[in-house]
Amino acid sequence: MLEYWTAILTEATIFGVLALGIDMIWGWAGDFDLSAYAYFALGVYMTIVMTVGKAKAPVEYVLGWHLPYLLAVAIAVVVVVAFASMIGAVALRNLRDVYFSITTLGAVWAVYYLVENFTPLFNGYNGVFGLFDPMGGGLSYNAYHYYFFAFCLLVLFLVYLLVMRLSRSPFARMVRAVRDDERAASVYGRNVFWAKYRTYLCGAGLAGLSGGLFAAYIGAFNPLDWKPTEIFVLYAAILVGGRGNPRGVVLGSFIVYVGFVEMTRYIPSPAARPELGPALRQILIGLLIILMLKFRPNGLLPERLGTDGTNPRRSWRALFSRSKFLRDPREDDAVADPADAVES
Amino acid sequence: MSILWISVGMGLAVAAILALSAVAFTLEYAVSRVVNLAHGEVLTIGAYAAYVGETNFHQNLYVCAVIATFFGALAGMALNFGLIERFRNQKPLSTLIATLGASLILQNLLLIGFGGASVSYEFAQGSLLHVGPFLWTTLTIRVMVSAVVVAGLIYVLLQRTRLGKALRAVSQNRELAQVSGIPARGVVMQTWAVAGAISGFAGFLYGETIGTITPSIGNGFLLLSITAAVGGGLGRPYATLGGAVVLGLIMSIAGTYTSSAYQLVIAFGFLVVMLLFKPNGLFVRGRALTVRA
Repeated sequence: MLEYWTAILTEATIFGVLALGIDMIWGWAGDFDLSAYAYFALGVYMTIVMTVGKAKAPVEYVLGWHLPYLLAVAIAVVVVVAFASMIGAVALRNLRDVYFSITTLGAVWAVYYLVENFTPLFNGYNGVFGLFDPMGGGLSYNAYHYYFFAFCLLVLFLVYLLVMRLSRSPFARMVRAVRDDERAASVYGRNVFWAKYRTYLCGAGLAGLSGGLFAAYIGAFNPLDWKPTEIFVLYAAILVGGRGNPRGVVLGSFIVYVGFVEMTRYIPSPAARPELGPALRQILIGLLIILMLKFRPNGLLPERLGTDGTNPRRSWRALFSRSKFLRDPREDDAVADPADAVES
Repeated sequence: MSILWISVGMGLAVAAILALSAVAFTLEYAVSRVVNLAHGEVLTIGAYAAYVGETNFHQNLYVCAVIATFFGALAGMALNFGLIERFRNQKPLSTLIATLGASLILQNLLLIGFGGASVSYEFAQGSLLHVGPFLWTTLTIRVMVSAVVVAGLIYVLLQRTRLGKALRAVSQNRELAQVSGIPARGVVMQTWAVAGAISGFAGFLYGETIGTITPSIGNGFLLLSITAAVGGGLGRPYATLGGAVVLGLIMSIAGTYTSSAYQLVIAFGFLVVMLLFKPNGLFVRGRALTVRA
């Protein structure tokens, strides 16, 4: 049982890093990016092909180096950021809102089909494999997994500190100002594209980093492992925790991964219907997204909106209050739609 | 007989289905200003409805088409009533995310209902026919003819009926239409019913053409529909029809000379080029109004 919990928590930790990255793009800059899972997958692929050595006959993939694991992860992050810089340059230049989402949705499917069908890249449909306990220096099987979990926790903690620090910086404040009113921000001399672009690259870098961790966790990766639709789980996690608040995002990813994804494994799936359990889990995720959006769009720990990045009230209190003071001012605008008065 | 002409013929067959699906998508956008990512699932519902009608109740082709259309309309209305109208006062992005959730729910409900294995119709695939320089089957000809008929019906609906007039008014400005006495909520509902019906029918045609139906076929077709709609002009039905034809031809011709596996990659390239250089669509004149809020 302990091993089982270690595995779940390791996964939640890795996806916590990914969620923090996605939250920078969506929570801070307000861009609903659907291609983040491609960055994550690219991170996994790159890490694997850079550590497992040359491909043997029927299997083919690029690079095939024999680098130390940590170095490979670092290079993978750089590659992911370089790749994201291309997609971001296209998607962020003039496109906003739903148009940005459409473009990134197209990008992730294009990448998916390319990886699946173009075998010289990452061995196509069959995927890459063979990364085995990259950091275990003679540890036993179980001890290694505790050790790896601790390592992932450490990475998450460091990333969290970094993001938290960044979240209170003038840069994040500027990005949020751009999100809330692009025109006003640009009148005050902020370069809107540049603000969004840098945030996008930071987020993609974190996605690549979590991909690097995930590579060591599962050791093999093929297109069946990363349907682009799995990004929904991450968005559900961010919505539950609190969009734009790093603390909420980490909380949300643990809640969703441990409480939701793993607990629903216990839904019995009869042998004749193996798809029942996973399908129910997906339905619950979809319901969670819709219900959170409708009734608690700010999540359990709402974003801090104080002028200096500190919350006017303690955030745990936000759990219990629906005070006007803490609410997102944009919500009030939205409700004061003249159409409401006409229609009813 | 050159390869080029054959691929043009295939492209027209693809474009026929794409056009219906994309027009439905664009009508939804026109009245509700929502990018409906659950659109693909309405297609799938249509395809499965026809499948159930065919295998379990031994219906013929035409009855199956009607069944698909009917259930598509039901699904469209349910989506509008249960989701889109509930999110009407929120930002467009929230609605988009909500439809993403709905897509997840519907797709997995279909998975539970029909299982993950693919099923297929038992209608005859038809024989090969040489028409001029093209190489078609009776099936693709039937698909194209019915698509043209449906497109004609859409034209009549938009231009010659009261609903069409009201629809156009609501799509331009819902509030203004409302104060002029048009029952906007009802018009939106009827539009979703029409769009759902078209999607359901398109799903039936798509299932018939590719031969196998799985719970995720619609989802794969969604991106193509979006690309066709954005490429032609999102929210403009006729521009969308044109965009679908262009996209169908591009995909089919480029796919013939590379590999059909890369069709989606090509479609994405088309989408990016359109969004970069002509974000309002190929067939829409004027300044970019739709891209930035």
